[in-house]
Amino acid sequence: MRDYALQVATWTFSWLAPRSQREAVLGDLLEEYALRANAASASAARRWYLRQLCASALPLLWTRLTRSAWISTLGVALCAYLTVGVVELIVNWALASSAAAGTAAYNPLGMFITFPMVVLIGYFAARFRRAAPIVLGAIMLLNVTAMTLWATESLPGWYRIAYFLVGPAALLIGRALNSARPAR
Amino acid sequence: MKQRQEPLGSLEHIVLLAVMRLGSNAYGVMVRREIENTTGRDISIGAVYATLVRLESKGLIKSFTGEPTAERGGRAKRYFQMTADGEGSLRNTHEIILKMSAGLKGLQAT
Repeated sequence: MRDYALQVATWTFSWLAPRSQREAVLGDLLEEYALRANAASASAARRWYLRQLCASALPLLWTRLTRSAWISTLGVALCAYLTVGVVELIVNWALASSAAAGTAAYNPLGMFITFPMVVLIGYFAARFRRAAPIVLGAIMLLNVTAMTLWATESLPGWYRIAYFLVGPAALLIGRALNSARPAR
Repeated sequence: MKQRQEPLGSLEHIVLLAVMRLGSNAYGVMVRREIENTTGRDISIGAVYATLVRLESKGLIKSFTGEPTAERGGRAKRYFQMTADGEGSLRNTHEIILKMSAGLKGLQAT
């Protein structure tokens, strides 16, 4: 099959099919394609192949989504994200209400206190789903980017850089700590 | 044997019947062809595999990989076999259909 459209269709099929069935799906398609090309014509077989792709896309995609672990990974990441938010709220509230907080709008102390807690959250998220801290890190980066782009108040440069690095770094450390945990 | 009470969906029912009819030669493209030849229903290979995967996760069928062949570009077939639970589920669904259609005029096979 040198046809560009068929190559794209085959690639799409291989991406859509569940991993356990991928080889079988592609083999079946090729078998039926060859049969139809011999029985009718190459163009009829080609039309059939492309029609199969259109009709198969949704059921295969649905199977792939419901079978893969990414939904639970995303669920764990979102729960961890909420936990990080709650921790940040508590830390900021505690700092604001303490006399030691001073008048600085962006207190580095908050980041120092939050850091080990985010490491811990990353550690526990990784215990449920190994990829969850990475997904959570990506969510945090997106969040910080959006906050930076659309912030109405001017944030100090160090705060922006630190925010970009600290959250994801803490999560990766938590994930690494979980990986280093001795197997039982 | 524990009788499976969960009724089958329409496509699950048809695919499971096709697997039963094909016996030892039940793999994706043959299941698709069997359904098309018997019912005239043009079903996509994706829908067949989605249903087969679902049936397998329910324990109604089991699968194993065959030998790779040249006509399939060196790709192996994946054969499907009905399990005892699958037979029970099929029998159960068949009984439901028979009971529901019993005595209804106009449903006799032509």
